[in-house]
Amino acid sequence: MIYRETGQFKISYAADQAIFPIRQDLIGMLLILAVAFIGIPLLATDYFYLAILIPFLILSLAAIGLNLLTGYCGQLSLGTGAFMSVGAYAAYNLAIRVPDLNLLVIFLMAGGIAALVGVVFGLPSLRIKGFYLAVATLAAQFFIDWVFLRIKWFTNYTPSGSVSAPALDIFGYVFATPRQHYLFVLVIVVIMALVAKNLVRGRIGRAWMAVRDMDIAAEIIGIPLLRTKLLAFAVSSFYAGIAGALWAFVYLGSWEPYAFGIDRSFQILFMIIIGGLGSILGCFLGAFFISIVPILLNQVPAALGVPISTATASHLEYMIFGALIIFFLIVEPHGFARLWQIGKEKLRLWPFPH
Amino acid sequence: MITMYVPTSAPERTIGDVLLKVDDISLSFGGVKALSNVSFDIRQGEIRAIIGPNGAGKSSMLNCINGFYHPQQGTITYKGVVRRQMRPHEAAAQGIARTFQNIALFKGMSTLDNIMTGRLLKMKQNFFLQALHWGPAQKEEIEHREFVERIIDFLEIQSIRKVPVGRLPYGLQKRVELGRALAAEPTLLLLDEPMAGMNVEEKEDMCRFILDVNEEFGTTIALIEHDMGVVMDISDRVVVLDYGRKIADGTPDEVRNDQRVIDAYLGVQH
Repeated sequence: MIYRETGQFKISYAADQAIFPIRQDLIGMLLILAVAFIGIPLLATDYFYLAILIPFLILSLAAIGLNLLTGYCGQLSLGTGAFMSVGAYAAYNLAIRVPDLNLLVIFLMAGGIAALVGVVFGLPSLRIKGFYLAVATLAAQFFIDWVFLRIKWFTNYTPSGSVSAPALDIFGYVFATPRQHYLFVLVIVVIMALVAKNLVRGRIGRAWMAVRDMDIAAEIIGIPLLRTKLLAFAVSSFYAGIAGALWAFVYLGSWEPYAFGIDRSFQILFMIIIGGLGSILGCFLGAFFISIVPILLNQVPAALGVPISTATASHLEYMIFGALIIFFLIVEPHGFARLWQIGKEKLRLWPFPH
Repeated sequence: MITMYVPTSAPERTIGDVLLKVDDISLSFGGVKALSNVSFDIRQGEIRAIIGPNGAGKSSMLNCINGFYHPQQGTITYKGVVRRQMRPHEAAAQGIARTFQNIALFKGMSTLDNIMTGRLLKMKQNFFLQALHWGPAQKEEIEHREFVERIIDFLEIQSIRKVPVGRLPYGLQKRVELGRALAAEPTLLLLDEPMAGMNVEEKEDMCRFILDVNEEFGTTIALIEHDMGVVMDISDRVVVLDYGRKIADGTPDEVRNDQRVIDAYLGVQH
């Protein structure tokens, strides 16, 4: 009844190709943005920002990066954590070695450096596919971990190997409180999500999906495979690099290479599997789920009067994620995003059966 | 035998010069000779059929023409230029499009997006404008959408525009694949068994589309087909392959009465 596009006639292709061709979707998205930009800053506590919102947003950004590569272009990657660390350490080194640079420029350059590294590790993708490519990207993960752990120049010869980010100072305005951090991250994530959506609904996205669905046919149509795959690696790593820089500068503040280990890569892969391969919305749903469940497991039993120990909670977390991943791989490989889509299809007819 | 739709008014078809010339092509995979010393030509504006029993080398021939296989011997002359070895996407850039024997659509994408991929080579706007979906990039997107909508109208698939192709029945998938090839505005269109597995109505539709493409757009068509009724009705000239060798070449009537062709199809006592 409420969700129905009856009467919304499109009279131009531009209207039909809009991101939200159905008015209710557009209104819904504007509401979410209003809540994110106005509602939350009015209401949220510091804990809410630091424990939930900021990590959720940054991990969503990394998930978008991986989804462009894996969900849209079909190249399985286990190196997201590594590309994030490239972004983080590139931003750190730029910040301490070229102090006059604007922080936004630093972030963009860090993304660019991560993109270059991504292209290098994407080169094998022309010859190897699927699990074998995943193993090749796993090599990237271990190699890059090793580089930042062992080559002291990157960590500026700090004895412990742990480095601290400088203050978030942009055009003389210092982002200091959790609320300011949140808004800073939110703006970047909204812009980059919009860019990702634009890429996947245009020529480039179609080329990626063509390579994903049938690479031989894609090549015969005239899509150069190597260039298309490398572009996917570059864009994906750019997103991961910016996410890594934000993770380090905004969320962690000071960090060591373990922050971007193989666990991080798997975590982000799980996000896009649970959220939905080949969906930008799915990145947010998956990131929300994966960052919120551990907190719920900590808080809800305590609130209900049955406190469980931290160890039990973290074991439960693994069990729930494991079960869910198996569930989604078997039942709905397109994750929450597809469930949402099916729900919308149902809503269009509700309350009538057909 | 299918009675074909034949235009009553004399069509304005002109068969021009040689568009593609295959000269003395040999292709082998290890010890298996797929093609040996095959020569034939395809003239501008004609419908050229390639027929032959299973395993005769028909699909290998198409794969050579569009650069997917590289023959060990012989030359392919396209538009008067002897082609060096090229990748399939280079052949596509020169105006050669094709469909496949086993449907090779992009299953996760809608009909519209599948046909839009056929326009990829014509889309020029750079990455950053794409990222913003702004100005020239949006304009380009809409121009190509208009072109693709004309193909959708032509193939009468308006109602499945936004349906993921994986959900479509076989006959429609074949039609979408033809649409994707047409979207590239090819000079030479290679069709690999466009009517395999179709019922009579679907075959008649497909024949109509092929003839219309040839007449209205002047597209040169090379097709592989097993339905002899269709082949004899719609093609201008037929080349017959058997065990990788050319055994006959000529108009449908000449080929139909050729003893070697009859032997190849019916078998002959040695």
